[in-house]
Amino acid sequence: MTIKSINGCIGCGECVKSCPCDVIRLDPSTGKAVIAYPADCQICHLCRMYCPVDAIEISPDKTIPVIVAWG
Amino acid sequence: MTSPVSTPCPSRREFLAFGGALTGLAAVGASAGWAQNQPQVDASTVNGTDHTTDVLVIGGGMAGLFAAVKAHDAGARVLMVSKGRLGASGLTPFAKGFFVFDPTKETLSIDEFTEQVNRSALGTNNPVFTRQLAEHALDRARDLKDWGFFDQTLCHRAFLKPMADRKIPVMERVMITHLIKHDDQIAGAAGFRLDGEEIVVCRAKSVILCTGAGGFKPSGFPVCDLTHDGSIMAYKIGARITGKEWNDGHSTRAVNPAACYDNWGDMFDRVPGTNGVEVHHDLGVDANYVAYQTGNPLPGGPPGVLADGRIGGGPTTPAEFERRAPEDGDAGPPPLGGGRGGPPGAGKGGAPGPMDAPQMGGASAGMSIHKSEGLVPIDDRGASTVPGLYAAGDALGSHMSGGIYTQIGSSLAGSAVQGAIAGAAAADLAMSTKLTVIPDTQLTSIREEILAPLRREAGYGPAWVTQVLQGIMIPNFVLYIKKDSMLRAALAYVEELRDHHLPMLRAADMHELRLAVETSNMVLSAEMKLRASLMRTESRCSHYRLDYPETDDANWRAWINIYQGADGSMQLAKQPFDAWPESA
Repeated sequence: MTIKSINGCIGCGECVKSCPCDVIRLDPSTGKAVIAYPADCQICHLCRMYCPVDAIEISPDKTIPVIVAWG
Repeated sequence: MTSPVSTPCPSRREFLAFGGALTGLAAVGASAGWAQNQPQVDASTVNGTDHTTDVLVIGGGMAGLFAAVKAHDAGARVLMVSKGRLGASGLTPFAKGFFVFDPTKETLSIDEFTEQVNRSALGTNNPVFTRQLAEHALDRARDLKDWGFFDQTLCHRAFLKPMADRKIPVMERVMITHLIKHDDQIAGAAGFRLDGEEIVVCRAKSVILCTGAGGFKPSGFPVCDLTHDGSIMAYKIGARITGKEWNDGHSTRAVNPAACYDNWGDMFDRVPGTNGVEVHHDLGVDANYVAYQTGNPLPGGPPGVLADGRIGGGPTTPAEFERRAPEDGDAGPPPLGGGRGGPPGAGKGGAPGPMDAPQMGGASAGMSIHKSEGLVPIDDRGASTVPGLYAAGDALGSHMSGGIYTQIGSSLAGSAVQGAIAGAAAADLAMSTKLTVIPDTQLTSIREEILAPLRREAGYGPAWVTQVLQGIMIPNFVLYIKKDSMLRAALAYVEELRDHHLPMLRAADMHELRLAVETSNMVLSAEMKLRASLMRTESRCSHYRLDYPETDDANWRAWINIYQGADGSMQLAKQPFDAWPESA
């Protein structure tokens, strides 16, 4: 699963900004980063590299999401 | 596509962790499937903001940086808008080689360099832009050195320095969807903010597209955020687009083929550096020809020939640029295409990893050759056929390198050089031009067009349309090893998506709205690629026709320009090599 986990997020938003594909968003209720759109992750690791507290773990695996026929 | 490593499903614990993370995020839908189209944004409550500047720069990569800085330094008020983040989106974070022509170190003259590129490119390069690259790259490298670009691996901070020093405003995570033309003059652009429910209008005297190139969101190359946005917006207001028949040939590896970092990690982690003259003829399509004939993955050996010499024919390389097969024990297969070379070769020793795995073609599917697809220039400053609209870098069809990768490191350097020149040109124009007033009715209709996918209660999700498009376009017998029958078959499918599905694209939130626009841009780009590939009835550089395998100099010493006809249909016309467009 592309971005695997975000643990220890300090809510700085660096990952949200540095993700080219808009995969990560800040949860408005907690202020912490969440993996909002994993299907669009291109596994480039920019979010991990820009994270100042090494909170992001990424897997090289990619699973194709199920898309309903004629979706 | 085979992989020695199975792809595990997420564990229940991981799955629950995702669910837990998402429950608190009211504005964001579930991650996959039908649920992603549940409406989350009420289009009737979306706000708007209005901005005015002299020069609007769209895109925050290497070309956009120099366009903004040099337009400012020429005296213009500048605003930059980027779909992503300054220095952290598109191909810029990934490009680490910067070509410089240092006359104190080179044995060739600039004339000789330009001629060598021209021989490799079989005439497809525009020597005006090739020469311009050589003349200016060293100065741009010096600018970058001053900003700390060559001292880092993540270039956002180095890019921010000159922008902050000059107080140039940057609006990040704003996707521009429309260029606005009025009275046959560029008047601005409009789009929306990803992080807020907001339509953004930018009024400007001149606009520079630094929007990069694009692909079909392929797996294994970091180009999934690039969808030809600039070219398609410009095409819709009358600009000419070129270079669509060429093909980038970057590959990935058979292990975890979708993992850009794992297969190209060296490129992300490396500190940028400069390099001098090194002209190649990196086809890419030759390896794709082998993959077509034998299937993926590719064994080692020289391009176009298997280890036992079984495969002949296919795309040809000029004898002067033939490269020797690697000796036994050399690391990895030869690179597939690309000014940056192929994926990093196998390391000596250590545990086998993805970089030791065989190569798989088609990783950058949908992308043309850097600098060779995009807006047709009418002069050497990046002006397009639309007055006031400029382009630079991969958004400009300058044919700086031609329909093939020629000079190593020229992609990044070319973006810097062209960005700087277009920035100064757009500033010059802005200083002598009045702002064009945009009628309110025009803005209202643009706003409605932008919001339409959010308003639709029924229709098609962009993820599905994209998946269908990938299935039509990415097969090697359509995109790379071309022939009339399959190009026409693919075109029939693409026309169906264009006419029936694009008008019904729907989006649940701002993320999906972005995907809807990107999908629409990819479909039109696919139509351009198919029509240009059908028209070029020869093989040359990275364009290979199985039914026209020879180079045809009598008829095809010409580029193909694509434009919208009076009836809205896609038109194509030849422009002879070494000539500027007749409409200029």
